[in-house]
Amino acid sequence: MPCIIALIIFSILGIFSASHRALAKEAFSCVLNRVTFRPCNIGFKEKIKGKVLSNLINRSVFLTRVVNKHYEILSWIFFILMVGSTVWVFNGMYNYYVYGSCNGLNESGFCAFDPSGENNKTSDGEECGINRPSPENVTLTDVDLSIFPKIDTSSKDEVVFVGCYGCKYTREVYPEISKLLEKKKFNYIFAHFPVKKDSEFLSNIGYCVYKDYEEDFWKLNDYLFTAPLDYILNKNNTIEILEKFDFDIQKVMLCSEDNDTKTFVERQRGEIEKMNIYGTPTIFINKKPFIGPKPYRVYKSAINKFIFF
Amino acid sequence: MINIDKIRADFKMLDIQEDGKSNLYFDSACMSLRPNSVLEAMNDYYTKYNACAGRSAHKLGDKVTKKIKETRGLVAKFINANTEEEIIFTKNTTESINLLANSFIFKKDDVVLLSDKEHNSNLIPWLLLRDRIGIKVNIFSTKDDGDFDLEEFERMTKGIKLVCFAYTSNLDGTSVPAKDIIKISHKNNALVFLDCAQTVSHRKIDVQDLDVDFLAFSGHKVLGPTGTGIFYGKYKLLENLKPFIVGGNTVLYSTYTDYKFLPIPERFEAGLLDYAGIIGLGEAIKYISNLSFEEINSHELMLNSYITEELSKFPQIKIIGSYDPKKRGSIINFYIENKDMHQIATMLDNMANIAIRSGQHCVHSYFNNRNIKNGARISLSFYNTKEEVEKLVDNLKKIMKII
Repeated sequence: MPCIIALIIFSILGIFSASHRALAKEAFSCVLNRVTFRPCNIGFKEKIKGKVLSNLINRSVFLTRVVNKHYEILSWIFFILMVGSTVWVFNGMYNYYVYGSCNGLNESGFCAFDPSGENNKTSDGEECGINRPSPENVTLTDVDLSIFPKIDTSSKDEVVFVGCYGCKYTREVYPEISKLLEKKKFNYIFAHFPVKKDSEFLSNIGYCVYKDYEEDFWKLNDYLFTAPLDYILNKNNTIEILEKFDFDIQKVMLCSEDNDTKTFVERQRGEIEKMNIYGTPTIFINKKPFIGPKPYRVYKSAINKFIFF
Repeated sequence: MINIDKIRADFKMLDIQEDGKSNLYFDSACMSLRPNSVLEAMNDYYTKYNACAGRSAHKLGDKVTKKIKETRGLVAKFINANTEEEIIFTKNTTESINLLANSFIFKKDDVVLLSDKEHNSNLIPWLLLRDRIGIKVNIFSTKDDGDFDLEEFERMTKGIKLVCFAYTSNLDGTSVPAKDIIKISHKNNALVFLDCAQTVSHRKIDVQDLDVDFLAFSGHKVLGPTGTGIFYGKYKLLENLKPFIVGGNTVLYSTYTDYKFLPIPERFEAGLLDYAGIIGLGEAIKYISNLSFEEINSHELMLNSYITEELSKFPQIKIIGSYDPKKRGSIINFYIENKDMHQIATMLDNMANIAIRSGQHCVHSYFNNRNIKNGARISLSFYNTKEEVEKLVDNLKKIMKII
């Protein structure tokens, strides 16, 4: 048994260290000898124990004595810890693959694969008086999604993209969502949530364009996410932008100033606030929220239902 | 008195350091170190006159033939054999014993007497013969204090065909009273074989004085290269042995239906020999012959006495065999109840590059009979120093603090 345990441990450690690879080979020979009923040349357990103790003895005789006395128990404890940490590492890798964070969906703790936490960053909503609820409270329950721009593909899958034209991380993730739209079939809803006041006017413009030019709205949407930020946030450029799409400029501009429009946009904002989101982008895939700009594979995994737990 | 500095300068391996620490070698009972002259002689063979002995007519072949003959002569002189034809080159002691076991003409119910401390090499060949042709293998019990009960031995030798004893035990370093054993055996018409693997580098062997019938030792335990061994037999007795391994270099001529063996010793040396090894062995014999066995014994006893005295301070440590270092030659084999001695050996190695041997030392029968798990064997040689032994003891003391 110790040979088998040692083989497992040293094989794993051997991935990273040549000296452990040698021990793994030795453990393998030990296992092989056991299987073929040949005794090890020298007790592998004793050899490892001797190595451990000889490294300790020059530091602390007391500690060495304790380790020597309880070697078996300590070995098992370390083995269990190692198995536990291995499971934890694999779980972290799985989480990173499907959620973009080692710690799980929307968890912002340290992740070795994403040390700066880029996959969880959001543009803050505090400026707009939004509190910071926990990710668990972010929900679509009781939210009326019918008032937002939608591409209906009659699919069972649904993606709700809450973002803002003026926000860094929403703009960062937009190409991934566009790619997803190209490659996968799902119902797509876009909710503009201007976390900063400088892009609020674009909510009204967007509403008016969608009302009269539903199909062309998505082209405008695409433009607003990809054109230079300073350019689109400058109100003086709005007419020039609208001209690019042959909209009736006067009609759209009048609509955007209309009280009914303001009321509707306020209603949209109210529905978004019900979602308890605390920053953009927040993307709901089949009601599950993905907060922050995740890699494309995360959204794809969610659509493909690759997420097991 | 041994000039230890001069001697140590002859052994290149003693200069080698690992992790900034010198290697402290206390495993000479398993394998002795070899002086530079042995390595140079072997290198010379491969680089200057690499050829076959005895069969090639060219000058190079002649030179090798002469060198092999020279070594045979050196070995004969070293053990005071009557003629150099009595010296047979083998691979090691194990092969020599197998040669004897398979060449000696036994019949069913012939009895071979062994001691209870024999190396597997001097046990298994006889057990195999017991299973194959029905000889009987009797075991003579030795005493733990190293004394030898000659009366009991005399009683047991009656009706024995062959007595096969290790002259010096690799287990506890005790030597048997070979001359008395041989005398008693001959009186009872038994022949005697002595396994001298652990004896040759520590005491003078004189086969004529001992009147021993057969004897064997390994080159690698007497400063020589690995893969070399010697089998000695009285010429008349060798004539009665049936060659065991035969083929090339063992026959004078052959036809499709017949052959004629070469004279002794060639008939027992089948195939191409380890010429480089044999030449190296010759140098080893020359080297040790220039030393005084009296001085070697005295030096090793001094070291052994110090270690024994220090180990005796720990009641947990049990020394295998006698507690009197005089009876144990160059070996101190010890164990601690319920402890695996591999751990001690590994620790010494890791702590201070101290090489000792741990395990059952190929004498499983002894350990199994006494329910001892294994032992840690310190084996000394004339190139070990007091400082080395002190370091060994210091590290052992450190280990004992955690046991």
